[in-house]
Amino acid sequence: MTRGLLPVKNVFEQVGVMMILTVRTLISAVRPPYPYGEELVWQFLFVLRLSWFPLLVSTFALNLGAPGLQAAGILSLFGALDRLGGFFVVIAVRWIGPLVTAVVVAGVAGTAITADLGARKIREELDALQVLGVDPVKNLVVPRFLALMIVTGLLDIFACVMGLAAGIAAELLYHQPLGGFFATLFTNATITDLWSSVLMCTLFGAIVAVVCSYKGMSASGGAAGVGRAVNQAVVISLVAVFFFQFVVSSVLFATHPELQAIR
Amino acid sequence: MIGWLEIPRGWLDSFGEIGRFGLRVAGLVYSGRVFRFFGESLRQAGILIFGSALIIWAFVFILGLQCGLQGAYFIRSIGAPSQAGVFSAYCDLREGLPYAFGYILAAKVGTGIVAEIGAMRISDEVDALEVMGIQPMTFLCATRLLGAWIALPFLYLVGIVIIYVASYISVVNQVGDVSSGGYLLIFWMYQSPPDLIFSLIKGMVMATVIVLVGCYYGYTASGGPVGVGTATAKSMVFNIVAVHIIGMLGTVIFWGANPRAPIGG
Repeated sequence: MTRGLLPVKNVFEQVGVMMILTVRTLISAVRPPYPYGEELVWQFLFVLRLSWFPLLVSTFALNLGAPGLQAAGILSLFGALDRLGGFFVVIAVRWIGPLVTAVVVAGVAGTAITADLGARKIREELDALQVLGVDPVKNLVVPRFLALMIVTGLLDIFACVMGLAAGIAAELLYHQPLGGFFATLFTNATITDLWSSVLMCTLFGAIVAVVCSYKGMSASGGAAGVGRAVNQAVVISLVAVFFFQFVVSSVLFATHPELQAIR
Repeated sequence: MIGWLEIPRGWLDSFGEIGRFGLRVAGLVYSGRVFRFFGESLRQAGILIFGSALIIWAFVFILGLQCGLQGAYFIRSIGAPSQAGVFSAYCDLREGLPYAFGYILAAKVGTGIVAEIGAMRISDEVDALEVMGIQPMTFLCATRLLGAWIALPFLYLVGIVIIYVASYISVVNQVGDVSSGGYLLIFWMYQSPPDLIFSLIKGMVMATVIVLVGCYYGYTASGGPVGVGTATAKSMVFNIVAVHIIGMLGTVIFWGANPRAPIGG
């Protein structure tokens, strides 16, 4: 292997190991002894407590700026500000809701998970667990995986609600009555939009959980090791989530023509 | 309920601390004291270019594809597929690129700085610098800020080229409702040089805040290797929210009163 190809080989190796970890996590999640119930609840509350405030602030700010004021500016030139509701279905529900939820959860909860597992790794607690006959994947990774999946799916709904609130705020900034906004919003919104948004976001949670757990459990290198693991974990999570969303929305638009119709 | 309100209150606290720290570091750059270590600043700029440029551009490329795809399908749904350039021009230059740049800088550069300076802090290297007569805040933080100001505007400008190419690929080649010439006509019509400057200002304010936050959390890290990991995680939380708020304020200030479109009165 030539030196130039080594980074490429490294990337493929890491992706492969993460896939193996995903499959191991799924198998140990369904295989009978279920010792992770208490940890699951604790992790769920932990992620929720860390994420709710950054998520609400972030989605409101992003939706007020990007689709809200920019689109309202151009729509007001046409005198068609009531169309903002239909636009917000496309942007806030299909795109920004899941994306910002994933970014915030990766940045807030994912980093905390990597720091936690990395700390246990370099204190050799994970090895001690294995000596005691406790499977670290089953007892540590599975509850975080399931908790993050459930939390991101549910937080996505809050992200969509805050996004629509930002749309309403943009309408109010332009001194518009809200009837037109709600009329185009509800005629354009479909059930497909909602379930695809929530499903997509659940899968983002799974990606973030696997990447962050893997990076935490493979942390090494003394003092700088945990910090470096967190750094790599969050970069890989973000790139994976963005790429995955592009693939999913390409497939979704191509397979659900009702999303492309005008109403 | 007290427990749930602790987080916003802690935020206000750390916001004030970071503001004071950031002003001190920016003062060190502004007063020119950092130029004693200009070589170190250039080295930090070089690390940014070689270590982070490719990942920033890859991330920006994916966001450009997504901007083009969402825009093309939305414009098709209102029955004007030839106008896809309006959406991509707004999404790429005004909103998408600053946010993508902010996210990936926070993830790659911000947390990287925390991990690096934090490791120096807990192995007492920062104190050693002080004993040697080198001001650690100037040598570690101000040089990184100056390095970011040297390198990042150029990475941002190249990122604009990359996000434009990505949107072109997804609108014209992937969805294919509009011809190449028709797309580019509308696309270039809906942007102007001031938009580029505003977008660059937005991106650079985000970059400055991210570097300062990274320096703050690294400089004040404590509690062993675990403490560095926790500080890294905390810096990411702060940066995510800061990026969104700066993005919103930038939009309100630059395009809030005037949409700067080539139509209307």
